[in-house]
Amino acid sequence: MNKSYISLLLLALPFGIINAQQSKTNQFADLSVNAGKSQGTAALSYVYNWKLGKKKKWEAGLGLRLTGYAGTKRDFTTAPGRLARSTTIPFVIVFAGQETQNWDTLTVQRPLVGLLNLSANFGYALSSNWSLGFNIDLIGFSVGRKSSAILTSNGVTRNEPLAKPAVFNLLLTGDNDLGSLNSEFFLRYKLSPQWSIRAVYQFYFAEYKTNTVLQTAPDGTMVDRFRNKANLFGLGISYHFNKP
Amino acid sequence: MKRVFYFIISIALVSASCNKQNQAPETRLDEKVDTAGNAALLQYAGRFVNGPYGSAMGSAKIYQLGNTRFILALDSVSISNGPDLHVYLSKEVQPLNFIDLGRLKSTNGNQLYEISGMPDFSAYKYALIHCQQYNHLFGSAALKK
Repeated sequence: MNKSYISLLLLALPFGIINAQQSKTNQFADLSVNAGKSQGTAALSYVYNWKLGKKKKWEAGLGLRLTGYAGTKRDFTTAPGRLARSTTIPFVIVFAGQETQNWDTLTVQRPLVGLLNLSANFGYALSSNWSLGFNIDLIGFSVGRKSSAILTSNGVTRNEPLAKPAVFNLLLTGDNDLGSLNSEFFLRYKLSPQWSIRAVYQFYFAEYKTNTVLQTAPDGTMVDRFRNKANLFGLGISYHFNKP
Repeated sequence: MKRVFYFIISIALVSASCNKQNQAPETRLDEKVDTAGNAALLQYAGRFVNGPYGSAMGSAKIYQLGNTRFILALDSVSISNGPDLHVYLSKEVQPLNFIDLGRLKSTNGNQLYEISGMPDFSAYKYALIHCQQYNHLFGSAALKK
C-alpha cells in the first residue's frame, strides 16, 4: 500500500511542478505531538506541497521531518520481513500473514530515537476549511542512545545491555522497511490563512538492533533487528507560509 | 539544530507519559514456606551481598515442594529501594541468562516466589535483586547446596 502512494507521488510530481507555475502551492511548518501506551512522539516538519487538479482540491509534495520517539518498556519483535511475514513481495507483504512462530521479543527498557527523514505528503480539501491528509517517511537516518533490553526467546530470557536504534531508514513497504519511519493520517481544520490544526492518527515503526544477544531464527540465521509498531494519536499545529 | 532535536525529544518524553520511578513496596511481608512434615525440602541457600547500585541483606533459599514445584524464599531481607526491581534466578552475577521471577514484592521481610519449569539449579546459581529498567544490580546471593 505504501509503495502505491510513492508511485502516485512520482506520477503527480511533474504534473504538480507544471501546475505550480500557474497556481498556488501549500508550504507549511508543522509540529505534532502523539501519544500511546507508555510511548510517544513529537515531530517537527517542513512540507512543500503542490496543488493539483482542476479545482486544486488535491495536493502532493515532499517534506523533511524530524521525529523524536520515547517510551518505557516497549516490546520489539523480530523485524526481517522474511521471518515476520509469509511473503516479502512489495505491497503484498502489508497484507501477508504474520509468522508469529518466528517472532522473538526484545523488550527495550527505555527506547529513545531521533530520526530525520524525507517524507511524502498528500492532501485532499473537503471544503475551504477542512481537509484530509496522509504522509509517510521515505528515507533518512536515526540516532539514539543505547538501552538495556531483554530478549525473550522460547521462554528463555537474556539481557542485552547495548540495544541501539537502527541508523538507516528506508521505506520498502510493510515489514520490508528498514529502520524507523513515521506516517500519519490526519484531519486538518484551518483556523486562519496562516494557521491550522490537525487531529492525527500516527503509525510509527521503530527499529532497534542488538549487539551481544541475537535471536537464532528457525532457519538457522542470527537476527539482530527488532521492530516496534506503535499506534498513536495526537494533535498538530501548522503554520502556512503562503496564503492559499 | 541540536536545540531543536532536544526540544523534540523533550516533548516526546513528556508525551510518552513516562512511568514514575516505580519503586517496590516497603511494607514488611511475612510469607513463609511450610516446612512442617517434610512438605518442603531446602535445596539451595545463600546470603545476599550488596550490588554496585544498591544494598541487599538477608538470605535466599530454594525449597522443593513435591517432585516438580520449586519456590525461592527471600528470608529476612532488607533491600534498598529502586525503580523496577525484579527477582532473578541467573547464571551470572551480572545477569545475561536469567529467569525473571517477577517484581520484588517488598523491600523488607519474608517473601516467596514460584519458580516455573524445572531449571537446572547448578546453572542458575544466583538469586539477584535487579533493577530491570536501568540494568542495575542491587544485590546477589550465590546459591549452594
